[in-house]
Amino acid sequence: MAEFHKLIANVRDALERRAVPTHNGAAESAKAVPTYKAARRVELASQFARELEAVGGHYLGTVTPKEMVARVRGVAAALNAQSVAVGTGLVIDPAPMMEALKLAGITVFRTAAVDDDAGRAELRGKLARCDFAVVEADCAIAATGTLAMVATPERPGSLTLVPPVNVILVSADLILPDLAAAISTIGSATIASHRLALITGPSRTADIEKRIVLGVHGPRDIYVAVVWRGDD
Amino acid sequence: MSNGPAGQDFFAASEAAVADTQLRRKLENATGRHLDHVAATRAEFPAYEDERDASRRIKEDSIARLDDLLAQLKERLEANGCSVFVAADAAEARKYIVDLARERGARRVIKGKSMATEEIALNSALAEAGCQVVETDLGEYIVQLRGERPSHIITPAIHLSKEDIGLLFNEKLHVPYTSEPTALTALARERLREVFLAAEMGVTGVNFAIAETGTLVLVENEGNGRMSSTLPEVLVAVMGIEKVIPSMADLSHFLEVLARTATGQKLTTYTNFISGPRRAGEADGPREVHVVMLDNGRSAMLADPVLREALYCLRCGACLNVCPIYRRVGGHAYGSTYPGPIGSIVSPSLFGGATAALPFASTLCGACREICPVKIDIPRILLHLRWKETAAKETTDKDAGTLPTPVWPRAARRARSGVRMFSRMANHPMTARVMGRMAALVMWPFAHRGYVRWMPPPFSSWTRVRDFPVPRFRRRRKARAQLKPAKDGTQT
Repeated sequence: MAEFHKLIANVRDALERRAVPTHNGAAESAKAVPTYKAARRVELASQFARELEAVGGHYLGTVTPKEMVARVRGVAAALNAQSVAVGTGLVIDPAPMMEALKLAGITVFRTAAVDDDAGRAELRGKLARCDFAVVEADCAIAATGTLAMVATPERPGSLTLVPPVNVILVSADLILPDLAAAISTIGSATIASHRLALITGPSRTADIEKRIVLGVHGPRDIYVAVVWRGDD
Repeated sequence: MSNGPAGQDFFAASEAAVADTQLRRKLENATGRHLDHVAATRAEFPAYEDERDASRRIKEDSIARLDDLLAQLKERLEANGCSVFVAADAAEARKYIVDLARERGARRVIKGKSMATEEIALNSALAEAGCQVVETDLGEYIVQLRGERPSHIITPAIHLSKEDIGLLFNEKLHVPYTSEPTALTALARERLREVFLAAEMGVTGVNFAIAETGTLVLVENEGNGRMSSTLPEVLVAVMGIEKVIPSMADLSHFLEVLARTATGQKLTTYTNFISGPRRAGEADGPREVHVVMLDNGRSAMLADPVLREALYCLRCGACLNVCPIYRRVGGHAYGSTYPGPIGSIVSPSLFGGATAALPFASTLCGACREICPVKIDIPRILLHLRWKETAAKETTDKDAGTLPTPVWPRAARRARSGVRMFSRMANHPMTARVMGRMAALVMWPFAHRGYVRWMPPPFSSWTRVRDFPVPRFRRRRKARAQLKPAKDGTQT
């Protein structure tokens, strides 16, 4: 079986195709990244950061998983947060971050599948009251500073809609050049069976005299950390 | 006034609107700001023209095989678990949605921004059935509080200043007066948040419907569309039948041009993809999704080979912002849900009645065609509709089908003869120079800061509405001197 994975990896590298994230959340093991790919990733990450800031988002940097924990704790401290919602990870392991937040005395809850109306109402109330939500994006678009979020039972769409502030994590290898690449990576099959939201910056309006105001109905602030899992 | 909230005389309404100098100032400000954003975003995206051509081609193809695509879309939507209702006209669509609200016991209905629901006058129908309907787009919320109709396709409250909105909130929401847009937005957020969390039914529009996967795409900036399609148990999405496109791959071309033209953004804040109700274990998303496919005159437009092109429209609203008529009279003067150049070509088919005169409310300057993200030849369609309207009136015309001789109004005849005289004169440089100097000499004593404010009839019909610039005596010679290179060889 190991031989088979190696073969697939070789074929993917040769074709420059990236692995499509699976939605059952298995974290990939860390592996070294070839130099030319690393350079491309850095380029896309910096373009993404520039575009994100242009639409009013906050860039927390391209960080290792350990640094990521520190950055999220920093956001929590700055917001003086009491309660944080966490969407279960895709490829980034959220456990160390949750530990760190708990150690700082913050109530942390993970969103999970619910089957009854009572559970749904409870979750909605919790999300409406929490100070911020941390959730991982399925991929990001460098050209527009966009984050793609596929809704699943573990990571409901409300996470990036109801809380006042979002911290969004995205794996460095999942920053894609443009919209067309993102749509084809996520794939028609996933879109046909899940709800998908492309999020470009904080909620905004220009309805009063065409003046831009951030934070209308959705989150007012979006912090994004690009997580480099390949070489630590 | 057949089935929509339409039916006043444009020419009477526009005269009143033009006299409202406050309105003109607000419109100039807002539309000007929009055009600056659009120009800046386009300049940094070299592929814009390619994406625009691609979008145009996809729309041509989609409309040409609309029957197949609609059948495919319906099948896929139903396979995804949605209910599909095909409404031939506004009344059918209204009845379906009102009955649904009654059956599900929905008392509170929230609406994302949707022109299609404005078109069918859904709000009043739901209100009559005893539902509390709340518009959640900030601009729509403002015009709803004022008991008005939106005056722009994407900026509903474009006709209001921040002071107007401050006074409105002060009066209707009983909050202290402020004219700060940030504070006003925060007030609306607070009020609408309670409504979002409590509503039983959400109604939204649809920007694109993808036949291949049965997916509805909804673009927006505020998050209200996403709220309306995520939080309530029942979602109703109302789509004009022209919104269908073949595949997911086609979508990215439209998304590349839509926001760039509509708001000058690269992509709207939220692009929502909805393919069906929530699945087992999901904490949010509607339990049931109803898609209302609305014809309401669209298939009749399709039958007219010239008018068909109007169905390519993405409802970006850019043609309103560039239109010299819209920028002076605003949206309400059009007396239709869809104002501006695009409104002038779709309203007669959708609403009939007094809107049949709207194709005449244009200078045919072509700015709308230039900015349109799918290159709709609006002036051509306007001329076509003028021809149809005039032909319909001249029932005695023996050879129907040929262009009847137009009967020009007196003012137009006078303007035409004036232009003819001017062009004859301008073609002879000597005459032009002599006449220009004579005009300048005659006007000079009456001029104030280079303009003449009053002239005797028949010229008074000009000076009544605008000042006349006095021809400059030495302009020509000066202009020529400026074009000559300076002595050190540099251009001045």
